[in-house]
Amino acid sequence: MALLEVRDLHVFYGNIEALKGISLDAEEGEIVAILGGNGAGKTTTLRTISGLLRPRTGTVTFQGRNIVGVAAHAIVGLGLGHVPEGRRIFTILSVEENLNLGAYLIRSQGALLRARKAAVYQLFPRLAERKHQLAGTLSGGEQQMLAIGRALMSDPKVLMLDEPSLGLSPLLARSVLKTVREVANDGTTVLLVEQNARQALAIADRAYVIETGRIVLEGKASILATDERVQKAYLGGFEAMTSA
Amino acid sequence: MTPVPVPRRSLPAGLELWRRWFDALPFWARVLVFLLIAGVGVWYYNDPYVTAVAVSVATYAILGLGLNIVVGYAGLLDLGYAAFFAIGAYTTALLMTQAHWNFFATLPLAVIMTGTAGAILGYPTLRLRSDYLAIVTLGFGEMTRVAITNWDYAGGPNGVLGIPPPSILGFQLGSQMDFLGVSLFLLGIAMLATHHLDHSRLGRGWVAIREDEFAAEAVGVPSLRLKLLAYVMGGMWGGLAGAFFATRIGAIDPTSFTFQLSVLVLLLIVLGGSGSLPGVLVGSLVVVGLPEALRQFSSQRMLVFSILLIIMMLIRPQGIWPRVRRKPKPFYGLEGGESSDHAVEALRAHQREVEERDRRALTGHRSAGQGEVLLEVKGLVQQFGGLRAVDDVSFEVRRGEIFSIIGPNGAGKTTVFNCITGVQKPRRGSIRFDGRSLVGLPPHAIVSRGLGRTFQGIRLFKNMAVFENVMVGIYPRHRTMTWQAMLHTPGERRDERRTLQEARRWLQFVGLEEEAGRLATELSYADQRRVEIARALASHPRLVLFDEPAAGMNPTEKLELIGVIRKIRDLGITVILIDHDMSLVMRVSDRIAVLDHGVLIALGRPEEIQRDPAVIEAYLGRDEGDEMVEAIGS
Amino acid sequence: MGAFLQYTVIGLTVGSFYALVALGYTIVYGIIRLINFAQGDLSMVGAFIGWTLLVSLGFQHLPLWLALIAAFVIPMIGTALVNLGILQFAYKPLLHKSLWAILITALGMSLFLENAALQVWGPSINAYPPSMLPSSGFSLGPVHVTFLQVALFLTSLLLMAGLYAFVHGTMIGTAMRALAVDHDAARLMGIDVDQVIRLAFVLGAMLAAASGVMIGIYYTQIQFTMGFLLGLRAFTAAVLGGIGNIPGAMVGGMLIGLLESYTAGYLSGKWETVIVFGVLIAVLVVKPTGIFGERVAERM
Repeated sequence: MALLEVRDLHVFYGNIEALKGISLDAEEGEIVAILGGNGAGKTTTLRTISGLLRPRTGTVTFQGRNIVGVAAHAIVGLGLGHVPEGRRIFTILSVEENLNLGAYLIRSQGALLRARKAAVYQLFPRLAERKHQLAGTLSGGEQQMLAIGRALMSDPKVLMLDEPSLGLSPLLARSVLKTVREVANDGTTVLLVEQNARQALAIADRAYVIETGRIVLEGKASILATDERVQKAYLGGFEAMTSA
Repeated sequence: MTPVPVPRRSLPAGLELWRRWFDALPFWARVLVFLLIAGVGVWYYNDPYVTAVAVSVATYAILGLGLNIVVGYAGLLDLGYAAFFAIGAYTTALLMTQAHWNFFATLPLAVIMTGTAGAILGYPTLRLRSDYLAIVTLGFGEMTRVAITNWDYAGGPNGVLGIPPPSILGFQLGSQMDFLGVSLFLLGIAMLATHHLDHSRLGRGWVAIREDEFAAEAVGVPSLRLKLLAYVMGGMWGGLAGAFFATRIGAIDPTSFTFQLSVLVLLLIVLGGSGSLPGVLVGSLVVVGLPEALRQFSSQRMLVFSILLIIMMLIRPQGIWPRVRRKPKPFYGLEGGESSDHAVEALRAHQREVEERDRRALTGHRSAGQGEVLLEVKGLVQQFGGLRAVDDVSFEVRRGEIFSIIGPNGAGKTTVFNCITGVQKPRRGSIRFDGRSLVGLPPHAIVSRGLGRTFQGIRLFKNMAVFENVMVGIYPRHRTMTWQAMLHTPGERRDERRTLQEARRWLQFVGLEEEAGRLATELSYADQRRVEIARALASHPRLVLFDEPAAGMNPTEKLELIGVIRKIRDLGITVILIDHDMSLVMRVSDRIAVLDHGVLIALGRPEEIQRDPAVIEAYLGRDEGDEMVEAIGS
Repeated sequence: MGAFLQYTVIGLTVGSFYALVALGYTIVYGIIRLINFAQGDLSMVGAFIGWTLLVSLGFQHLPLWLALIAAFVIPMIGTALVNLGILQFAYKPLLHKSLWAILITALGMSLFLENAALQVWGPSINAYPPSMLPSSGFSLGPVHVTFLQVALFLTSLLLMAGLYAFVHGTMIGTAMRALAVDHDAARLMGIDVDQVIRLAFVLGAMLAAASGVMIGIYYTQIQFTMGFLLGLRAFTAAVLGGIGNIPGAMVGGMLIGLLESYTAGYLSGKWETVIVFGVLIAVLVVKPTGIFGERVAERM
């Protein structure tokens, strides 16, 4: 049984069916990329897994337990971390306070908290330099680091990342994704929603392609990277047009 | 997709017949029937106490109708409405006691005074967020009360005494029955006027602002002006009720105009159903009648009242008789069966009209011809904090083409869009539309110049019907005056019919005529997008900007969208398109601009763009050792 | 100059009462965007519980320190429970549903508390024991300051400092500030949002109750209608300082107190309301987010 199993999720916004039966798996220690165009349902999938949205039907099984209906804050405690789209850091708090909140559930264990914070600072030395600065004053790349670091503070078994390279320069995007690979190498499972398909596929083990709320393609990242259907569905049919 | 049937409680057969008869009457006749039944009922009951309560209910109903404009339609919180009641009451009281005016002669002045007060209150508060409005309006109410308490000419804390009852044609009115007649007469006027406002372009504009102020402004509704107007219109009815109150009571003093009164009126609106006319009537009956009915509880009645109120809000937060904007047959009574060419003809005629107007208004002005530059963006720079979202971007859009702006997320496309549509003011650079600068104009003014738009996330007015959404889009072309709307003049009626007809045509154009009466939220995602397109077209733009119209659409819907975009171009409307879906963009565009990290990296025809190495890199990321480059390159 | 300083002393004392109630408004508003109109009435409830203890139950005859502790702590706990009940039964079901409905419910709650107090404690003016604290004082040059004023002002400052330390020094306090920015992101940190909201209601009510008891001791008279004007002043103070902003509410409260005192001293008590709101409107027109800026995000 996989660490995280999603089965036949149907999610509605009012009358609009955003997810029409999404199923996916993530094994321990692998990076699973979720690709697809804007509005395809990638973010909705992540938000449903982390309990921010309630599916109409379907199950999310984490370590053998169905977590649909469990409150979002409790899901974090089970070991699912989520870095939301647009970073959503607490702009009026300092960098350090943001990180502390990431370890909210272990707030009484001071030593453990400090150890994790030290690990995050080691991963992102830039954050250590700016720990007393208000988070809202950080640059885009630093904010992304903070968002990831904040999620790592809960020491998640599965880390879900929603468009971590959004709005970053190619160089920064690459360095962020490299960090993601490092995190996965340490044994954390990563669910990665990413617009930058090539870079996502380069670091991922497997990938799913979502289109209008359905999974249209799945497989090993290295194979999907050369699959022309990925380009068609996601990269926008360069191929389709030139051959037409 | 079938329209959702409107739920109707079934009545016994006899009553049902009466109900149909009642529904078929024009509104003024329905008001008349209602007032007659109410009046005759109270008269027949013949109990002075009940009559007095009925007069109070009518007074509160007039107040409620006025505040309903501010709160229910425009969605602006007002906790100081008692001030208008006070100003109206004092105006009439002083004119009648000091200048011996006839009651009815004082009414216009009372209404003018309160309308002015509305403007004074509204003007500084227009840009405040709604929560702040609460305290500012509350402050306005308290300041007014304290000011009249300290105003010696008006009797200070003792108020104005000896206000005579009204007289009409030499008859002195005085009994409670007489007051009931006058109050019902005034209530009838208020009902008619506010109903007409509700069903005019003003009413739609207000509700649009309430639903989504940003979207309303961006589709051409001058939100600041309309909000101010809501305060003025709302204040006027408070003045009317106040004037009546003064002559009825005979002696007024500042304690009649407290915060509690403001709260009570707000209460009756929300209790009845915010924005609903019958809701106001029911609400005032409950708010005035219930404490009277609870008299047996004597000193506990306010306690019981507050408990009932809280329970009521928990059980039915939308109110007792909410306004449902769904309409089963929105186009009933319009001549049907015309071909959709009419929309096109109307559009062409209007475009010519606009060009003619511009030519006359601006000497030496010549509208861009087919294939000439319509929109010119030059050296555009936009900066947020340290981040340059758009860096020195220049391009030209020619009349009649489909021009696309693409680029990865965060490339600055939407920022360019926002600068063109006036949502943001660019740091540097010029934007000229048909030779005239757009920089610094508010969004609604840019819509009037002839730029329509849709939004990245759908931003329809959710609780309005589909056809009303499109009618809001016609707002900038509509010329009805406020007084015309209130009186429902023949000219206004013609305008309304024309607007409705045009809304129908544009819904026909996007293939949604059947769904016109449903609420916007009830439609599917793709259909909501099409309503947005219809709303944008309804303003008769010369250029429309579509922000990611294909997001969330399935392949079939995308194919249909391509058809619609081409059809729009064939109408003579220039199209700017932002989208991620490259296959869509490649298929439909004449020219494409590619942004990456705020910089324009390529501009050209689709086949040029596809081969451009910089574009491929921007979209797929640079990774030299990757097989993908070869895959794309082949 | 002497008069000015004298008015300043009075203004700061009264302002500290407003500041405490304003903090309640600001904490709750910052987290759930609700103007809890019942805030001023909570203060009234606290004042009456204190009165019941001191007068009806005869606590005033206990040793002074014991009487004072009881007269503050028990009303604070009692009022906190009342506010929790209000949250749970009246507001909770409406949160995230209808903005209007919840606002009306808050107004209804204010009405309810006022009338419930009327039933329980009656319509008359109830007197606090007059001689609990020494009415003597000392002179600083031309200004006379009573020990009572000093004690009450210091108590307010202590409570405010305590709140500030809690909100800025503890993890739960940090979570409260985070909730003003983003509820969903807070959930993703493992923060139980409902729990923090409950905490905000508890803190808000405790501060209000403390202020109510202090008003009782200072003016020695309380009535069931006292909550309205107090709430109004405090709400104004919260907005003036920038709603959601904790230091803003403190300073805002002091400013309103001073403004009121100066107006009463130099002009006439009759014009207090006009001046206070006039200043508020002027500030908002110039700086729509209050003097110190609001500490809440644009959208939830």
